[in-house]
Amino acid sequence: MTPLEHIQQQGDLSRAGFFRFEDDWRLATGRGVSVAIIDSGIDVFHPDLAGKVMSSVEARVDNKKVIFDPSDDGDSAGHGTACAGIIASIAPDAELHSIKVLGAGGLGDGMAFMAGLEWAIKQKYRVVNLSLGTTKPQFFAPLHDLLDRAYQAGCIVVAAANNLPQPSFPSVFSSSLISVIKSEQTDPLNFGFHYGEVIELTAPGVNVRTPWPGGGYRNLTGNSFACPHIVGVVALLLEKHSNLTPFHVKSALHSIAMENQLG
Amino acid sequence: MYPENDGDMSAKIRRLIETIDVANVLTDPLTRAIEDLLRVTAADIDSDEASVLVRDGDEGDLRFLSAIGKVAEQLVDVKVPAGKGIAGFVLSSGQPIAVSNVVEDSTFYAEIDRATGYSTEMILATPLRHDGATIGVLEYINRRGDPPFTPFTPDEMDRAARFADAIASLVYAYESAKLLSDLGDKIVEDKERYDIDGIRSWLAEFRGGAEHREMMDLAVMVREIAGRGEAQRQMCREMLEAVMRYTDSQTEGSFLGAE
Repeated sequence: MTPLEHIQQQGDLSRAGFFRFEDDWRLATGRGVSVAIIDSGIDVFHPDLAGKVMSSVEARVDNKKVIFDPSDDGDSAGHGTACAGIIASIAPDAELHSIKVLGAGGLGDGMAFMAGLEWAIKQKYRVVNLSLGTTKPQFFAPLHDLLDRAYQAGCIVVAAANNLPQPSFPSVFSSSLISVIKSEQTDPLNFGFHYGEVIELTAPGVNVRTPWPGGGYRNLTGNSFACPHIVGVVALLLEKHSNLTPFHVKSALHSIAMENQLG
Repeated sequence: MYPENDGDMSAKIRRLIETIDVANVLTDPLTRAIEDLLRVTAADIDSDEASVLVRDGDEGDLRFLSAIGKVAEQLVDVKVPAGKGIAGFVLSSGQPIAVSNVVEDSTFYAEIDRATGYSTEMILATPLRHDGATIGVLEYINRRGDPPFTPFTPDEMDRAARFADAIASLVYAYESAKLLSDLGDKIVEDKERYDIDGIRSWLAEFRGGAEHREMMDLAVMVREIAGRGEAQRQMCREMLEAVMRYTDSQTEGSFLGAE
């Protein structure tokens, strides 16, 4: 039996009730679940996000170390606001926390998001939306360690995978995080499972209408917009089952995705 | 002035000048090759407007290196501050992104559009990667014809990622050559530190030398061959390597130890 057939058989078993996740999460709103968005900041005044962003911090470099200060600078690129909007559309009561690492002076890219991830783990946020990545080999080992720390702390990291010719990390570290690519599916709860490569889940990511800084909306395409869809779903799962570990969450997502794919 | 009595230093400076001159010879055709590739790939995804942005410094700033389209000339050398706009995000995240309805944007593209008079409605942006590092961003703007435009598709994004690989190699070669040519310009411009007239006359004499002229002819010839296609490049590389192996074997002598 090939690994794929094995997984498919497991999918059939899940339909038969061998491992089936209760459907109550579909009625959840993400209440009480903290979600960190490591990105370009969030426009907290956008009508879709008003009252949902509990904290905003911004990175700066001080003596070669990264310090996070409270920030009211909003979003420098639009991407963070778009991700926050997608999460809020699925889990409207989730507590969003903006960790701005893009557009902050003095930071190299890899260092910026590593510091953001460390900050999120330190704050004990339950879910982390990470659309950033790097291909620089010097970050491979420290990032691996950091993600293991997140895993052990029960912090669920969801990363946008990269289907470019040169894969980037951390999305390739499939053991300690959940990686996602875009699909043309439009129902956020009807996400899929993608076995056989480092990419694990597929979620809506093509022409997604999202909030944009300044109060408007944009239609966006990319894996980095598939990622917040899964973050939203994880927030729903955690509201109903707050003691789930990252391992449990992965199993639950796999089980639900298989059910989605099998109809 | 140059320490003419110091043979070692003089040889080093000669090598530097040679390298700078070769770099100068190489940058122009590379710019043209990048523009040609932009034109061909833009046509493939039904667009007339494309640009290449490269890293400017170490803090995530970008600069337009090359562009085709209606406002191409106004874009070249325009700088994009770190984290600004879609290009800044693509550089930092390494993730390709397509955006529609940019025209309403109050952020970076509105500023660029105001400066150029162009109307950006859609962007497809994908990272340029070379040897594990993201060195810049490739962007396609709008479709051909008049709006409303159909959004860029996932298939077009995948194609753009493959185009980006080819363009990234050229951009890397250009940036390396430009670095050396800029270094040469900087030395000549820094009048207070150097005896410029002396250097100029030394340079004129050096560049007028038969050996240097021959080397430049050789560089131009290699450039011409490289422009004729992959098979020609491969053949040229093999022949040059064969010549090097031959000359190495002439100078290294026997593998056996002295008797």
